Amino acid sequence: MKSMQLKTLLQKPTLLLLLGLSLFSLNAFAMSLQEAKSQGYLGEQLNGYLGLVQNNSEAKAVMDDVNNKRRAHYETIAKKNNISAADVAKLAGEKAIAATDKGNYVQNAQGKWVKK
Amino acid sequence: MKIIQLQQVSIGTLLLLAALQGCAPTVKIEPPDKPIVINLNVKIEHEIKIKVDKELDQLLSDDKLF
Repeated sequence: MKSMQLKTLLQKPTLLLLLGLSLFSLNAFAMSLQEAKSQGYLGEQLNGYLGLVQNNSEAKAVMDDVNNKRRAHYETIAKKNNISAADVAKLAGEKAIAATDKGNYVQNAQGKWVKK
Repeated sequence: MKIIQLQQVSIGTLLLLAALQGCAPTVKIEPPDKPIVINLNVKIEHEIKIKVDKELDQLLSDDKLF
């Protein structure tokens, strides 16, 4: 039974290709978030979202993806506790800046990027 | 002589008592005409903040997001 299934799978290279692509898409970005942060492309902003420190298309793609995911999480938490998503985001920003590793970039009160 | 003294003392005491009566404060206990309102908003807000804090801590531990 199992060998039969495997055979049909092998007979359908498109299916294999799809399977491979789906596994690959888990890490679709050439740069990971942690790399983008430690290499100084991305930094933590006061508003709870990532910002672009130096222009780089790869880092920007990572930033947009992560920010969208963050937004969804903020909205979930906000809804659950009957507060605004902006409040949740702001609190998250404070925490994220506090938790940023040394040498990575954070936004200061004046809105400027500073190396922690 | 003794009677006069006694009268003086008793008058004195009466005067003193009268004076003290005037000093005695009257404490009136009246039920409030408005219902008593206890504001719990502060406590609730504080609890929400603690909850959000905890949820954000979990979120921040995800190194794919933070």
